[in-house]
Amino acid sequence: MQPTLSKSHPRRSRLEPGGGYWIWYVLPALIMYCLFMAYPMLDSVRLSLYEGTTGARNFVGLANYVRLFTDPEVSARFWGAFFNTWVFFAYHMLLQNVLGMLFAVVLTNRTMRGRRFYQTIIFIPCTIAVMVTGYLFKLVLNPQFAGPTLRSMGLGALVKPWLGDEKTALHVISLVSVWQWVGIPTMMFVAGLQNISEDLLEAADIAGANSWQTFWYIKFPLLLPVIGMIAILTFVSNFNAFDIVYAMATPDGAPNYSTDLIGSLFYRYGVAGKHPIGIPEPGVGAAISTAIFAMLLVGVIPTLRATQGKE
Amino acid sequence: MKKLTALLLAVLMMAALLPSLVQAEPVKLTMGSWRSDDAEQAKGWLAKYKELTGVEIVFEPTQSAQYNATLRLQLDNGTGPDLMYARSYAVGEELYEAGFFMDVSDVPGVKENFPASALDGWQAKDGKIFAVPVSAVSHVVYYNVDIFEKHGLKVPETFEDFLALCQELKDKGEQPLANGIADNWDILECVYLGMLPNYVGGVDERVKYESGEKKMNDETFVKSLEDYAKLAKFLPEGFESMGNSDMPAMLALGRAAMFIDGSWTAGALLGEDYKDLNWGAFAIPAPEGNKAGMSFHTDWGMAGNTATKHPEEVKAFLAWVASPEGAEIISKAQPAGFFPMINAEIKLEEQHANDILALNEGKILDSRFVWAKLLDMYTPMVEQLNAIAKGETTPEAAAEVFAAEQAKILDK
Repeated sequence: MQPTLSKSHPRRSRLEPGGGYWIWYVLPALIMYCLFMAYPMLDSVRLSLYEGTTGARNFVGLANYVRLFTDPEVSARFWGAFFNTWVFFAYHMLLQNVLGMLFAVVLTNRTMRGRRFYQTIIFIPCTIAVMVTGYLFKLVLNPQFAGPTLRSMGLGALVKPWLGDEKTALHVISLVSVWQWVGIPTMMFVAGLQNISEDLLEAADIAGANSWQTFWYIKFPLLLPVIGMIAILTFVSNFNAFDIVYAMATPDGAPNYSTDLIGSLFYRYGVAGKHPIGIPEPGVGAAISTAIFAMLLVGVIPTLRATQGKE
Repeated sequence: MKKLTALLLAVLMMAALLPSLVQAEPVKLTMGSWRSDDAEQAKGWLAKYKELTGVEIVFEPTQSAQYNATLRLQLDNGTGPDLMYARSYAVGEELYEAGFFMDVSDVPGVKENFPASALDGWQAKDGKIFAVPVSAVSHVVYYNVDIFEKHGLKVPETFEDFLALCQELKDKGEQPLANGIADNWDILECVYLGMLPNYVGGVDERVKYESGEKKMNDETFVKSLEDYAKLAKFLPEGFESMGNSDMPAMLALGRAAMFIDGSWTAGALLGEDYKDLNWGAFAIPAPEGNKAGMSFHTDWGMAGNTATKHPEEVKAFLAWVASPEGAEIISKAQPAGFFPMINAEIKLEEQHANDILALNEGKILDSRFVWAKLLDMYTPMVEQLNAIAKGETTPEAAAEVFAAEQAKILDK
């Protein structure tokens, strides 16, 4: 029963580069991925070609897509939500991630005191449930409940129905979301900055670079892969965002669809159905998600190419 | 020998157990519902039913907003509950048409014990009844009694009085109404559709709009929208971002004197959170010269699943729901603001609930205007009402949109 050397020898050679051993490491994850990610995704593409609910499902070809892009009501909602999602994304990309980088640079500065304290403060909102954040901000932004306090502080000009005005609602919701999630890019940038070798920074210091030059010529280029990763994560999570709108506006994207995101649109068509009937159209929902999937892919691949894989 | 004794013993025990195995195990039915909030109450009255009949019914509620979709999915997959809460009109009727709901027309008590206005909510095109009517809700004005007493104000008799009352409150530095439009439903379901029976009248008038005989930009509708616009002037500052759940809080804090909401909110107002609030309710008054109406909406019925394994028990239960005894037990277990529709003297235990129910007396009662045939008007109507409140459109222009939407539905 003892293994002999001669038997174990060829096995070792399979562990050499080029051997087929790796498949055994990948297989468990691959099976899980196929079963719980790839298959449902492909099945939802199939679902987008059907109408009706599970029992009485009819194949309708591309009719759901045709409706999505040509029916004046549905397509107005779709493009409205699409545009709003880009606005929502712009806030996260340009404000959340830039702030995150700024915080990270400040936090990793050698002369910075109380780093852990600030790091914790910045990260705490990420640990609060979105429903809670949404509800708290709804009260804070409510003229009836926050109005008297604001007026007594001489800030009467801020007493406005921020969430009830089509012109401001989406911006306010985006800002609340930025406030909540700014800790994530901050943490990732902090980790990225800590990875930069001290030697480089010291060399720059000796060469007489000021802090802006150090940032722009040394830290920023070395952070590019992290920036790319964060950009993709932001992009994907924003195009899937639904919770903050559900918590602060309604699944209708009130007022007047001005806060309707792709996520809430999908929820209305695919999951909940329109109030008060409440019968969803999973086919249309799947068509929305498939269309968005295709669009995300077009956005993600060039970003990956541009920022990753550079050694 | 030992083995033999053991074997014999085993056989004997089996024999002793057998009869109980063969005997039908007690029937256990399942019930689907959208009232996850009052699961405790439901378990209470279902326990009483078990005491009476021995049939156990398990209450399996779904969150209200997901109920229609979830139920549909369950029924499609053959995993639907034996009994289920049924929405009135089109939403419920669809499930009957699809063959999921039992025809309950012949269940004893259904035809005898309910008024036509109640059965109307669960009557299919073929005249068959697909659910036993259980509860209705109405839409009323809640008011802070202390604020009214402080200024010596009285409950208004006519809509003109109501507007004058709002003005007086405003002049005295009080906020008249707490209603808002942020949630996109209560401004229509409770406020406007609550007002509408005062203008349109009952079901015999409603059907004229459903058939197209009357247009929704006629004098009646323009007048109703004009009155709504006048009332909307008294909404609070920032009403654009005020939601349904803000209203009772505003009333309790004394920040507003009144709000218009569904009778179900009485349940919340009677709760621990509002025990210091001295409140009352009055009907949304009719304009001078109009007959007073009241939106008494057929809210829930009880339906049986055609695919149930226990049709006898299901029918027996439905007959109990349709009997005065059953209806009384169920009604008393309901949260305040859900009213029985059965033709029987049922005295509710909660005084406020009785008071709200008493507002129906002498008025024309009808379900919410759009529910029966014009449900597709729901969203366009909400949009127009929001726009009127914000001053972005006029009552006349909104009535034109109503008529256009009505025509669109009739063309289908």
